Amino acid sequence: MLLTPQSVELLAPAGTWEVLEAAVAAGADAVYLGGKRFNMRLHRTDTNFDDEKLARAVQYAHKHKVRLYITVNNLISEREIPGMRDYLRLLNQLQPDALIVQDLAVLELSRQLNMTVPLHASVMMNTHNEHSIKTLMDYGITRVVTNRELTLTQLRLLKERTGIELEYFVHGDMCVAHSGQCYHSGIVFGQSSNRGRCLKPCRWPYQLIDSATGRPAAADPGPYKLAMKDMCMYNALPELIQAGVCSFKIEGRMRTAAFVSRIVKLYRQAIDRYIADPTGYSLDPAGWQELYAYRSRDFSTCYALGNPGASSIGYTGEREPRFFSQAVQEAGLAVPAVLPAASIPPRPTVSQFPAERPTLAVRVAGIAALAAAFENGADVAYIGGEAFKPEEPLTLQEIKQAITLAGQYNTQVIVTTPRITMERETGELEQLFTCLEAVKPHGLLVANSGMLRLARQTTSLPVQADFSFNLFNHLTTAWLKANGASKATISLEAAFEQIAELAPGSHLPLEIIVHGALEAMVLDHCVPSAVLAGAPAHACSQLYPSQHYALLDSAGERHDIKIDQYARNHILFAKDLCLLTHLPALLSTGISNYRIEGQHYRPELVGLLTAAYRTELDRLSAGDAGSFDKNLLSRLGAASPRKLGIGAFRYRLSR
Amino acid sequence: MHHIGILQLTQNLDDAVHGFKAGLAEQNLTAEFYYVNADGAVSDLPRLAGKLAEQKVNLIFACSTPAAQAAVQLDGTIPVVFTPVFDPVGAALARTLDKPGGKATGVAGMVPAAAKAAFIRELLPAAKTIGILYHTGDTNALLETANFKQAASELFTLVDLPADKPADLSVLPDRLPPGLDALFLPIGRIIEENFASVAYYAEAANLPVITSHAPNVPSGALGALVANHYELGRACAVKAAQILAGAKPGDIPVGLVDRPEVQLNAFVAANLGIELPPPLLAQAKEIFE
Repeated sequence: MLLTPQSVELLAPAGTWEVLEAAVAAGADAVYLGGKRFNMRLHRTDTNFDDEKLARAVQYAHKHKVRLYITVNNLISEREIPGMRDYLRLLNQLQPDALIVQDLAVLELSRQLNMTVPLHASVMMNTHNEHSIKTLMDYGITRVVTNRELTLTQLRLLKERTGIELEYFVHGDMCVAHSGQCYHSGIVFGQSSNRGRCLKPCRWPYQLIDSATGRPAAADPGPYKLAMKDMCMYNALPELIQAGVCSFKIEGRMRTAAFVSRIVKLYRQAIDRYIADPTGYSLDPAGWQELYAYRSRDFSTCYALGNPGASSIGYTGEREPRFFSQAVQEAGLAVPAVLPAASIPPRPTVSQFPAERPTLAVRVAGIAALAAAFENGADVAYIGGEAFKPEEPLTLQEIKQAITLAGQYNTQVIVTTPRITMERETGELEQLFTCLEAVKPHGLLVANSGMLRLARQTTSLPVQADFSFNLFNHLTTAWLKANGASKATISLEAAFEQIAELAPGSHLPLEIIVHGALEAMVLDHCVPSAVLAGAPAHACSQLYPSQHYALLDSAGERHDIKIDQYARNHILFAKDLCLLTHLPALLSTGISNYRIEGQHYRPELVGLLTAAYRTELDRLSAGDAGSFDKNLLSRLGAASPRKLGIGAFRYRLSR
Repeated sequence: MHHIGILQLTQNLDDAVHGFKAGLAEQNLTAEFYYVNADGAVSDLPRLAGKLAEQKVNLIFACSTPAAQAAVQLDGTIPVVFTPVFDPVGAALARTLDKPGGKATGVAGMVPAAAKAAFIRELLPAAKTIGILYHTGDTNALLETANFKQAASELFTLVDLPADKPADLSVLPDRLPPGLDALFLPIGRIIEENFASVAYYAEAANLPVITSHAPNVPSGALGALVANHYELGRACAVKAAQILAGAKPGDIPVGLVDRPEVQLNAFVAANLGIELPPPLLAQAKEIFE
């Protein structure tokens, strides 16, 4: 297709009116900004627009023939739904050119309210496969801000297969973790990155240590092991344009007018020159020098041209602009949970779903652990998905074996899928789902909207939605149900009060994770291989098959790094979740499905935990509120590889 | 038409700039502004100050201590008006507050320690023992700590909690003595920037935090008594007008904060089970939820 000046949109951030004017004057085709509500930059109330300013901004932009997008890209709690509804009505009246959204509930609300403003999927929706894009298109999403882990080649493929507009970050501050899937700030601080309050634990200093010995790893390029450099695609504009990226997004809604203006001006000139004469285009060294001279961090092309490995990390931290927090000791079991007083009725009163015996599910890594779970009272075992070294991925034969075993115990086996499913994983899953039609597990557990769609299209098995859907409100359950899910998992970040408010209106049976090794971040960056060998990530799968590493933070907390079969790194919290003593309160909300994330545990521990939770659930649901065995907690603690904690339950609300 | 350079360290100081511009308008002064902002990078300030000098500005309005120092260190005689510099004498920007003597004057941003001590007394009437958590590498922090000790030692038992690097905040619980009733945070970079970790531990220990850095209040401090940056900027405009009319900056006394404002966080108060005193609520400029 031939290029025209309309082929590419240069999209600038605006935190204040001053920046808005500067971005427009410097030549932005479009700007994005946030209101005072439901937007991702809530640390700084001054870098948002109030309702009246939003209205003026839309008029101002349109007068200057610039498109304006409003970010409404937070996850929303149940109690925020009425406010969101009002806000969406207002925004529909203001008629910006699009809203940038994250929560699936907003897709539902947009339908309910007959909104005419187009919707764009925020990068926080973690959209990285064609099936997700097609699902979103069904809901009127006209553009996707894609995962930053996607390469230009993958973007081109997605564009060809779906035809949707792709927006890609071309410049500025980047996350090291998959967006929308990082729970570190939300669980430790009660300030969720998915709700605009990230305290950037990825910018803390860490030591890489050997898990077995606790000793620091040999090579150490500097303490900031997760500190991504800033994205800069200035040198690769032709590749970007030719990959079919239609919107070049500059990051930084807290940046100053001078900063935004300079970047817009330089990219503007380069894009215009390229489109006017692509074959005659060459990089403007003066432009590059100016960009470089005024950089905050050092630059990287991040994933655009392939996995950048060690080159994308600013290990020394010398150019880190400012910090947001320091490492802290995670809340242990001794920290009181915030639960409503006297929320311990002897028998749960369940409105919508018949609570017979509460269901206990256990995610396991292999057949031995699966047997231990069934032996000790699990109703359901989740198998498959990521296999963490030294475990090998489950074969079809092993899946069959698991199903046979479930038959003997009269239990269920549900096959899970990886959290991140790019081209390779998607292709493999399509084949797996087809095979499973014959093998007949009891269901599938999927981790993103694309795999929900693919599963519905290729199998007749029941499909459940995992925690990675970031479920915080009942409208999201409505969306999931409409898209074929039969059960949904509550967000890991939800505090008790939020769970209690969400549960009564849920359109689907809800499952809650009550115990296990939770993952703070999932990365395509391989931390050990980058630190130790300076190697590109693909080597990760071959390196260190028998060695394990962890990140030690300045609070003395150890975050184990688990490497899966796709070479992704999953960074665990220092403390494993344990809500055993809070089961009475949870049962009182009417939730009747409970899960142990046991995939990082040895079979003996899986058995011990399953028995403990089984006993407690049975005891409580039978009306016996009195006799919790306190020694049980210390036994579990002693047997666990990490200390136990209460996660988001230390907070009244996850903000 | 005057040519005025504005040298700003971070966007946090926008209000001072707005107040300064509004103040100049009130003085019926028209000016062309040359605005540069280091976006937090202190090391960029000398270069940015140099850019303003190249524009041949008649005066530089410098926001923050390092910005003022960078402006004063320029060759030549460009006068400098600064705010919210905590300690103009200690930062070598003025010989004395009454007669600065050099090419700079302005309005200091430090709220008197006695007023802060009285504020804490009113906010937490039952508090007896207060920990002072301060950044030892920041001269402003040392000054405020010393002032506060002098002003508050009769009212409270004070406990020193020095921190010399950010990672010290990671192990704060190990350093908190038993029996503390509150934490007071003097101004100081590493404490301000990593405030979330302080708030995290303070909440776990049920400790209210009184801060000197206003943005910490919406982020989880219980309250603060702080200078209003907009008003500081306005007061600076009066001094700038005098200079543009021919007065020497060295002869113009440095102004002081005269009406500090109360900021409170009601969400934090509710979490800690603290009832905010009605007179303070009535007086508060902002109450965060």
